[in-house]
Amino acid sequence: MKDIFVSSSPHIHSEEDIPWIMRQVIYALIPGALVGMYFFGLPAAKVIVISVVSCMVIEAITQKFMGRAVTVSDGSAALTGLLLAMNLPAGSPWWLVVLGSLIAIVLGKQVYGGLGNNPFNPALVARVFLLISFPVQMTTWLQPRPFLLKVADTVSGATPLGALKTAVFEHGSIDIVGKLNLMDPFLGNIGGSLGEISAFALIIGGVYLIARRIISWHIPVFFIGTVALMTGIFWVINPNLYANPAFHILSGGLMLGAIFMATDMVTSPITNKGKIIFAVGCGVIAVVIRLWGGYPEGVSFAILIMNAFVPLINKMARQEKFGAGK
Amino acid sequence: MMGAMLMVGGIGLVAALILGIASVTFAVKMDPREKAVLDQLPGANCGACGFAGCAAFAHELTTTPEVEMACPAVNKDGLKAISDILGRSLGAGDAMIAFVRCKGSPADTITRYSYVGPEDCRTAQIIAGGPKACQYGCLGLGSCVEACPFDAMHMGEDGLPHVNEDKCTGCGKCVDACPREIIALISRSANFGVRCISQDSPKEMRQYCKVGCIKCRICENTCPFEAIEVTQGNAASIDQEKCQKCGLCVSVCPTGVISSKQPSGKVQVIAEKCKGCGICAQVCPVDAISGKPKEPYVVDISKCIGCAMCIEKCPADAIERLAR
Amino acid sequence: MKTFKGGIHPPENKVLVKDNAIIELPLSKVFFVPTQQHLGAPAKPVVNTGATVKRGQVLTEPMGFVSAVVHAPTSGTVKEITKRVHPVTGLLAPYIIIEADGKDEWAPGLPLERDPFAMEAKELLNIIQLSGIVGMGGATFPTHVKLSPPKDKTIDTFIINGAECEPYLAADYRLMLEQPERIIDGARIVMKVLGLDSAIMAIEANKPDAIRLMQEKTPPEIKVEPMKVKYPQGAEKHLIDALTGREVPSGGLPMDVGALVHNAGTVAAIWDACALGIPLIERITSVTGRGINQPRNIKVRIGTPLKDVFEFCGGLNDAAKIIFGGPMMGIAQCCEDVPVMKGTSGILVLTEQETNLNSYRSCIACGRCLEACPMGLVPSMLSRLGERSMWKEALDYNLLDCVECGSCTYVCPANRPIVHFVKYLKTLQREAKAKGKGA
Repeated sequence: MKDIFVSSSPHIHSEEDIPWIMRQVIYALIPGALVGMYFFGLPAAKVIVISVVSCMVIEAITQKFMGRAVTVSDGSAALTGLLLAMNLPAGSPWWLVVLGSLIAIVLGKQVYGGLGNNPFNPALVARVFLLISFPVQMTTWLQPRPFLLKVADTVSGATPLGALKTAVFEHGSIDIVGKLNLMDPFLGNIGGSLGEISAFALIIGGVYLIARRIISWHIPVFFIGTVALMTGIFWVINPNLYANPAFHILSGGLMLGAIFMATDMVTSPITNKGKIIFAVGCGVIAVVIRLWGGYPEGVSFAILIMNAFVPLINKMARQEKFGAGK
Repeated sequence: MMGAMLMVGGIGLVAALILGIASVTFAVKMDPREKAVLDQLPGANCGACGFAGCAAFAHELTTTPEVEMACPAVNKDGLKAISDILGRSLGAGDAMIAFVRCKGSPADTITRYSYVGPEDCRTAQIIAGGPKACQYGCLGLGSCVEACPFDAMHMGEDGLPHVNEDKCTGCGKCVDACPREIIALISRSANFGVRCISQDSPKEMRQYCKVGCIKCRICENTCPFEAIEVTQGNAASIDQEKCQKCGLCVSVCPTGVISSKQPSGKVQVIAEKCKGCGICAQVCPVDAISGKPKEPYVVDISKCIGCAMCIEKCPADAIERLAR
Repeated sequence: MKTFKGGIHPPENKVLVKDNAIIELPLSKVFFVPTQQHLGAPAKPVVNTGATVKRGQVLTEPMGFVSAVVHAPTSGTVKEITKRVHPVTGLLAPYIIIEADGKDEWAPGLPLERDPFAMEAKELLNIIQLSGIVGMGGATFPTHVKLSPPKDKTIDTFIINGAECEPYLAADYRLMLEQPERIIDGARIVMKVLGLDSAIMAIEANKPDAIRLMQEKTPPEIKVEPMKVKYPQGAEKHLIDALTGREVPSGGLPMDVGALVHNAGTVAAIWDACALGIPLIERITSVTGRGINQPRNIKVRIGTPLKDVFEFCGGLNDAAKIIFGGPMMGIAQCCEDVPVMKGTSGILVLTEQETNLNSYRSCIACGRCLEACPMGLVPSMLSRLGERSMWKEALDYNLLDCVECGSCTYVCPANRPIVHFVKYLKTLQREAKAKGKGA
């Protein structure tokens, strides 16, 4: 007889392992990425390819260098790369993307011990690092031009949220921006980061993830709900200064953040109770930054700040154990 | 520009001032002797003394006169230094050292199955009793190596842990980490140890280990000092106080399970003192001494095992140990 | 359909063996009878080497109330009383080895015929104790202890557990299909012992023919309840929760909420003991998995060497793991030198493809284990603490509430051996408690 193996029970295992989960999230991001490529054309495709490849290469090199098992094939680095690309302007120069990958993989993930040990979302660490270090490159948006109609050139435009902030700063009112169009941000026909422009495409991905039980509905719903509620309150108070909640929900990085970034398993709480606390915290901080902060968009900062509270939330928000008294 | 520089510089100054005041007003008063004692301790915070760490132990030593030296890592010089600092003499405990009481490398023993799980002896032990067929044998997953705070243990190529005697302080962390109590602390001055703790009968043992103690009692019967004993059902054990380091047991053990740290010093006959009585040749267990009566006897170095029985019996004090 | 919170849906794989009728295994030449086949105090041999024994003769004497006797599985001579590897611990434990004489002669007076319903409850309880009956679902807790609640506890609900939620296994299913009377009459004896006039028989909905048959055969006082197909539906505490809505308190026993659960096989053994005087010397078990050539449900004497079982089932094929019990909670065996025991609810031979030999990684905090945990614990945290031997901290995370059902480990995408870590932490806690160091 061949060698006998002995281990603790259980002796069978679900086939849904880490690579499977990573693949599902990548599938869910495809609609958003396709919309980005449709509106921004070849430069967007270039950013995605560079980001994914450089993240994978950097992860392999770092793990080899640190004497760890090389786990590039689990798809985690590819996913980080894709998420990073979705969070960058479509016209980002190649060096910006590679630098971002380096930050995400090395500073965001490997220094903490690799996948599972990082306190902050690696792609967001990279995005915020780049945003602070290279504000010009990170806010140079390509004008959306449907791919088949005309190849996008480097004409830069503003994001709706950016326009709003500028209007508030310069005129003390948002009336100058004019009527806020909701169909464009829903479909993606606006300026912004490569993957955040189409709420519709991102929601499709989110529904897929929830249906596949990769993420629970708690974080997206409570994150977006909090943003809607808060912006709604201020919109009612002063519609001249504050945009309506529908606009806030559909524009900027909220959809991408609430569905894909805040729901990162490693850096979000494990219990549903904890997820709700986390999501509400994200929503509040994001709105505060959007309405009164120096940056037009605050979703990334909000998620990173709440990431820091995850260990505390996990400690406090436990689920009720069986037999605790009922 | 200037304003900014002044501003930042000013903040720096104010902060420095606050820190400076705080460090004086909130300073924790520490007995300078305590600090001096702490400097003598190893600083590994291994906990072998029974206190929360080196600082806690230094505090206890300084403040409580009843506390004796409990740190195994402090050597003679350190002990003297601390005694001088505290103005009281601290007794030196017998310096201890970790000793691995299993010689059964995977090559010499039977492994029942392949273990799948965390690479840790303690977790392996609780699943089906561990992969080694011998229930007294080293599992070889290195929990002791992991536990050592002094980097004094490593896994050898034989799949067994080895102790670096220069680094080992006898703190006993490895002893606690071993689920099978294979590692024991023995006196640093001990030269011999039995590398087996099996309580199985020779018949049972032969099924799974080639090198364990088979309780044949040859060592017990050979030892001239009654220092080695095979008690009912147990592997041989050495009474280190009685042991005269002759090494006879090592040479007679049929499975080679008794190990020696270093070979015993061999002996030579001092020709000028020798009266040629021949007693040494009679007592020598390995027939290493020969000669003619009334003439100086000669030791065959290649045969001598350094047991020193001749030294003990020589009426003329004519035999001495060679340097090791 | 009734169920509980949490749990998982592993592939059932019962099809391998579920349609095979129970076959009796031919008598072995030598039987290896461990003296300890139950949870609790040990029992010491009362026969000596060389003694002649008859089928059903008592071999041991229990040392304490929470203990159980073992009986000779066949007639023959005691060849040796020695130590061999025990299937549960993997360590050496005392065995009584019996060389069969092939005559298979009953001990004097056996089997007898009597009407158990004409007997006093006390008398029945005594018979159950003397017959060495233990929980046959795998837990092997002595049955007479469960049937003797302290005076301040009253039992009002008796559940016959036919859920058999472990994948692969189908022994209880076959028993229910082929010998329903033994279960029903055994259940009526338990009801008599407890003074109850009703009982519930819980069967997972994936056994519709067993449910139908039982519904036909059971008297009105026994209600057959189909259960949702979910693991661990057959776990005592969750069965009670699903059927009565009562949660066994943390650290408590089913009797604390007035409930008692007995496995279908145990109840059948109670019938044999009370009506026929036959002690627990054989059981029905599934021999299955893709590593065995002919999966079968067998009736086998306790103490039968595993080798004989494998031979009867066509031998092994690419076996990677041999497991006593089901794939979720069963115990991996170190070798083929072990015998079938009272608690061997299944003998599972898995191939490398079926089982899981991969290494594990860092926890990615996905929370799947929390969703799967039927006890509402935080398994991911327990595994992290296990890596660091931090059992005291693990007590804060309800270490001792874990029932080791394996749901968390089954779903973990990082393949972390969470149950293994929990077992390790519990061992550390027990050792510390034995030494008297704190909690």
